[in-house]
Amino acid sequence: MLEAVPLFRKAGIQMKSKKIKIDKVVLAFIGPAFLFYTIFIVLPTISSVYYSFTSWDGINPNIKFIGLANYKEIFTSVRFRNALKNTVILTVFISIFENAIALALALLVDSVKWGKRFFRSAFYIPVLLSGIVSGFIWKIIYNYNFGVINTLLENIGRAGWKQDWIGNPKLTLIMVGVVLVWKGSGYYMVIYLASLQSVSTDVMEASIVDGAGPFQRFKSITIPLISGAFTINFTLSLINGLKVFDQISVMTDGGPGFSTETIVYLLYKSGFNEGRQGYGTAIGIVLLFIIIFLNTVQQKFLKRRETQL
Amino acid sequence: MKKRWITGILCIAIAAGMLGGCASGNSQETTGSQADSKAVEATEPGKQAETEGEESSLISEPVQMTLAFADGDENAKIAITEIANRFMKKYPNVSLLIVPSNGTAYNEFLKTKSGVGEFPEIVEMRDPAGYVRAGMLAPLPAEITSLLQTTAEFDGTVYTAALAAGDTRGIIYNKNYFEENKLEIPKNWDEFIALCEKIEDLGDMAPLAVGAADIWHMGYWFYKIYDDNVLSQDPDFIEHCYDGSADWTSPEVLKTFEQLKQTFTYAQNGWSSTPDAQMPTFLVNDMAAMLYSAPYMFASIESADPDFEMGWFPVADEEGTMRLVGGSVPGGWSISAEAAENPNKKTVGEEFIKFFFAPENYAIYCEALNAIPSTKITPEFNRTQVMDDVIEATKNADNLSVLWNNRVGKDELPPDFRNFTYKTLIEMCQGTKTVETASTEIAATWKTAMQSFNPITGVGIE
Repeated sequence: MLEAVPLFRKAGIQMKSKKIKIDKVVLAFIGPAFLFYTIFIVLPTISSVYYSFTSWDGINPNIKFIGLANYKEIFTSVRFRNALKNTVILTVFISIFENAIALALALLVDSVKWGKRFFRSAFYIPVLLSGIVSGFIWKIIYNYNFGVINTLLENIGRAGWKQDWIGNPKLTLIMVGVVLVWKGSGYYMVIYLASLQSVSTDVMEASIVDGAGPFQRFKSITIPLISGAFTINFTLSLINGLKVFDQISVMTDGGPGFSTETIVYLLYKSGFNEGRQGYGTAIGIVLLFIIIFLNTVQQKFLKRRETQL
Repeated sequence: MKKRWITGILCIAIAAGMLGGCASGNSQETTGSQADSKAVEATEPGKQAETEGEESSLISEPVQMTLAFADGDENAKIAITEIANRFMKKYPNVSLLIVPSNGTAYNEFLKTKSGVGEFPEIVEMRDPAGYVRAGMLAPLPAEITSLLQTTAEFDGTVYTAALAAGDTRGIIYNKNYFEENKLEIPKNWDEFIALCEKIEDLGDMAPLAVGAADIWHMGYWFYKIYDDNVLSQDPDFIEHCYDGSADWTSPEVLKTFEQLKQTFTYAQNGWSSTPDAQMPTFLVNDMAAMLYSAPYMFASIESADPDFEMGWFPVADEEGTMRLVGGSVPGGWSISAEAAENPNKKTVGEEFIKFFFAPENYAIYCEALNAIPSTKITPEFNRTQVMDDVIEATKNADNLSVLWNNRVGKDELPPDFRNFTYKTLIEMCQGTKTVETASTEIAATWKTAMQSFNPITGVGIE
């Protein structure tokens, strides 16, 4: 017979006439993680709020309180607006393409008769590379004078198609996005693949008997049944898009000019490179609220879609 | 009871794991330092066996000090390590632990070290102003400053001893190509532009190699043209920008930007994504005829192709006036204020700096880096013809000045202004911004920056 166990009892907390008794075993398990999280995440976040109201340069122990001046500068700064625009473009680009390619790869791997494991591993390999390493590899590939792409174009007699892939301000942001999509798609593919493999074959077979074509089956059965994976993947790619750093640092240093400077990169440059730790921290706080806002909106939208489907 | 036992064992295991992790982290760091210090000590020829030239009277008890420098340049790393070895050989009871800064981003390395309370005790400073204001550097005594030609003062006090004089920039060119095509060394700016035009018309290679993927590389050309057009008219332009009597939309500034834009039309394709490190490749592979750079590039070009015939000339302004980069820079060897509180460490730190500048030791550094000596006594070292040309040019220059971002006092730039300017100028040279837009944006940024940093009013430097 099933026994209804209150949630707090499952969590190891027993309530006896308003007296809370905490299980020591549970405490032993969550204690270290809680301590670490508090020391390395919670406390720095709280102290960041304080530093964002100062003009601290990161060196001088005499920290001066300047009120809302950093925030005022952020919201009037052309450079911040440009970084915000770049961040939005990059996030939208990678959210769409990472998911589209990941889904296509997952469908491909799911449908192949042989070599399923090989393809799954092959598509996943870029995920294993660090952002720095993948940035270096693609920087060499994109190089105008010595890179693989331009050399190939020259060798096939299409020298006129040569581009300064990471030097042309109109192209660079998208080229960085391509690297991020290349690196990230394999990860999302695994999530889609797991979700696809949980789609009941009975439902599929029934739809075939009813005369549904492949597109209809995909649209009306597969998509609704893997909508949970969409929510997870879009949320992850949104967060990853908002905090891209490695590839930009290695490939473009935010340039040429300001064409690939994102909010995170501006934060880093201001705080560490330009001696404005207080201002950089204020950018970090603004970014935190942007992520919370976008994530909340996206979650609401996707959850609603999930329920509708 | 059993539960308590399990809890206890788990707690001990977790605590041991955590401590183990911490310990291994520490040990790694220590090993890193020790490895480097051992690397220093290991290369000491016979520290224990050979005692010739040893002097132990410097300090009464053994002292260990940390030493940090920008080790991105392999030549600098080798030269400074060798001098540190010699110092330890001379003073056996002194141990210098070289703290590796692992190449690039040296300023960030120092900031991190200061943040975690591990600021090096003998340290090469690149941008010392902030550290001087934070009270982290100790004043240097007259017996060190008297060794140098010039020193940078912060409110009348010297905190740094420049490792070398300001890197004089000039055109490094393909000598064979110039001879084959009977190209002549230009005497003024207009002749230089005509030369670029002529090389472009020949169509064999790009007239100029530019590596603006490294943002500081922009400073080479910018400062040259800015010095010729703006500083020649107003040597205290930055100070006057602070007090409001000059600004970034003046005709001289616009002319600077125009000339810069014109110059970059002669750069190789892909200049904005090409790093400075690839510059020798362009020269030695006949992809570009000229490169405007500093003498540190000579060694890289020689190692890229020992047979490459390299020439060097400085570029004059429109009137033929030779305004070059040179003189003492504010960066250099410093001793941390914390180390200076310990009399033994203060003695060792000061002695190391004096030892570094002793001609027989300083020659190692100057030769390895093609550095222009900053000392009054010029050390004897093997110099190439091009290096002789550079030294000769600095002696005959009409004006020598320190780079705009190396100035202190009322000419010190706001913290983020240099990079903003270079990035804006890249966009201007690429054609995504006009000269006027670039000038207006830079002027607007200056006004914003001045609100948080102004040496005239004291804002941001208290």
